[in-house]
Amino acid sequence: MTSEDWQIIWFTAWVAALSTLLILPFGLALAWTLARRDWPGKSIVETFVSLPLVMPPVATGLILLKLFGRRGGIGGFLHEQFNFDVIFTWRAVLLALSVMSLPLLVRSARVAFAEVNPRLEEIARTLGASDWRVFFTITAPLAARGIGAGLLLAFARALGEFGATIMIAGNIPGKTSTLSLAIFQDVQLGEDSHAFRLLGFSVVLAFTAVWCSEFLLRRKTK
Amino acid sequence: MKNKFLFLVVSLVWFALPVRAAEINVFAAASLTDSLRQIAAQYEKNSSDRIIFNFGASSTLARQIEEGAPADIFFSADEAKMDGLEKKNLIDPATRKSRLGNSLVVVVAADSALQIQSAADLTNASIQKIALADPQAVPAGIYAKKWLEHFQLWSVIATKVVPMENVRGALAAVESGNVEAGVVYKTDAGISKKVKVVYEVPSADAPVISYPLALVKDAQQPVAAKKFLNYLDSTEAGDIFKKFGFTLRD
Amino acid sequence: MKLLLKKISLPLAHFTLTMDLEIHSRVTAIFGPSGAGKTSLLDLIAGLRRAPSAFIQFDDRVLTDTAKKIFAPARSRGIGYVPQDLALFPHLSVRQNLLYGRKSRKTIDPLFSFEHVTNVLEIAPLISRGVTQLSGGEKQRVALARALLASPQLLLLDEPLASLDAPLKARIIPYLLRLREAFHIPILYVTHERAEVRALCDAVIELENGRCVRQGRAADAAEIPPQF
Repeated sequence: MTSEDWQIIWFTAWVAALSTLLILPFGLALAWTLARRDWPGKSIVETFVSLPLVMPPVATGLILLKLFGRRGGIGGFLHEQFNFDVIFTWRAVLLALSVMSLPLLVRSARVAFAEVNPRLEEIARTLGASDWRVFFTITAPLAARGIGAGLLLAFARALGEFGATIMIAGNIPGKTSTLSLAIFQDVQLGEDSHAFRLLGFSVVLAFTAVWCSEFLLRRKTK
Repeated sequence: MKNKFLFLVVSLVWFALPVRAAEINVFAAASLTDSLRQIAAQYEKNSSDRIIFNFGASSTLARQIEEGAPADIFFSADEAKMDGLEKKNLIDPATRKSRLGNSLVVVVAADSALQIQSAADLTNASIQKIALADPQAVPAGIYAKKWLEHFQLWSVIATKVVPMENVRGALAAVESGNVEAGVVYKTDAGISKKVKVVYEVPSADAPVISYPLALVKDAQQPVAAKKFLNYLDSTEAGDIFKKFGFTLRD
Repeated sequence: MKLLLKKISLPLAHFTLTMDLEIHSRVTAIFGPSGAGKTSLLDLIAGLRRAPSAFIQFDDRVLTDTAKKIFAPARSRGIGYVPQDLALFPHLSVRQNLLYGRKSRKTIDPLFSFEHVTNVLEIAPLISRGVTQLSGGEKQRVALARALLASPQLLLLDEPLASLDAPLKARIIPYLLRLREAFHIPILYVTHERAEVRALCDAVIELENGRCVRQGRAADAAEIPPQF
């Protein structure tokens, strides 16, 4: 294992962690709204949230490429106003990981929120608690295991992301090269033994994350 | 009586056809996409054989052939990939021929105001990202890297490089506007209206670009493939290649 | 005490809850069979549910007025609620449950001091336990105490004795009686047992299929021999 390998592993781990952190507030808000509220068009929102799970990752990547490229709606604005680029930078990796792993967090957290007895929240309100206080002292702690499991799943997904990442970030050595991109390139170059070494790391990381997630879920039903 | 005769004819033709119409699998460099498609269309007018293409980076294609992918013909964008397969005894050396040449150009988006007058201009701060086919593996990227190494500019420019899967990917990156410039083949620039050539690399500065082709040893249709190989050697095919901007090396 | 429940119309599964009356008694029973709409009525009063039409006023404060689009949120109503399933917070200790309503009240009536409430309901020894370790009767008293410690001006009790067996009921009733004497706050007491109505309440509102069929003094409820 060379220092470049460690750089790749380190980069993959911290971008995945950062993306998980990034989707946390938005994902929880979305999950809570889906669990507790109803409105016309709710099924459309549900479908959109689930799309990155079902669509081919490269297709999602293509949509992101068009949106965040310098000629796209969002990317164009960022480039013109702030000289800020997303495509072909580490920020694109962050974006790809976030979009692809968000549905997993939302699905797990939504189930967790739905399982919290709404009566508990109602009584808390009669005791004078504001909505925020109810969320942070009653809803979230009771849903914590499910949320935690969802976060770990999202993290594991982010670790392994490939299709959308290669579309919008490319595989730039030292800048956007993640474990999965590096493995792909090794295979392209015929460097199979190196690919297998990286693969080993990938498996260990993913296995740990998913195992912890399952553990949390099992504890909950005790 | 007449019906029996008709039945005989139909069944003879029916059973004979599969023997006659072959599917020829051609693995070819991405930069050959448009020219080869036209040549194949021309060929298929006079033959019942069908040409199935697999276009991609020559490095990827070579790897696939190594792993046993069903190819009849390999048409690479550099000699090194062909050498690799020859060493592994995967191609028929008797059929190997260096057919085409090409040249490198620097392209920018059609609406860009960027000017390049030399390799050194690529170090300009206004160029933040340069798209190349992956310089570690893909011929177009390797050629571009050699060109820049020739001027000792590679280490500076390498930090700006966005490596793409194949040369058409580099072209697309320039078209999208997400990179300021790209180095591709002159023939690629020719097929895209969304980019313009701002600099043509003089042949003296660049390495020799050579496209070899050969019959794959385990070809499933060697007879039909050889026929197509001969056609690729013909003047008719040569004219089409020249039309797209390739040079002929024989 | 003045509680106005006027122009109430709330469609439920099998009927519409309608009400148009005033309550002035201190401990009022809301009596009826299961499914008569009693819990829904409490939810409306507490502000946990909205009706298409309702006017609810407690003393001088209008809590709900659909005509004028007034709706005071539950957290501002100062109404204590002990639901049928008690809804104790399972992840918090007894102490944390008890003090939950404390933080939001700025003025604390000495009547509702921690000492007084825990003494009256005799739960001082339970304070540091986890909620899941309590017995049925202990949970009941903690739920009552929690509601009281928030200094409510009105207390809603939803079938406090329903899920208890006879010996336990006998043990809790004194505490309910103490509630009356020690805390001086009006109480709405939902039950389907006439005996409880007569033993604990001053007045009764009888609900049947969502309508009030009788409002009167508790003592006038039909005679059933008391069970204790």
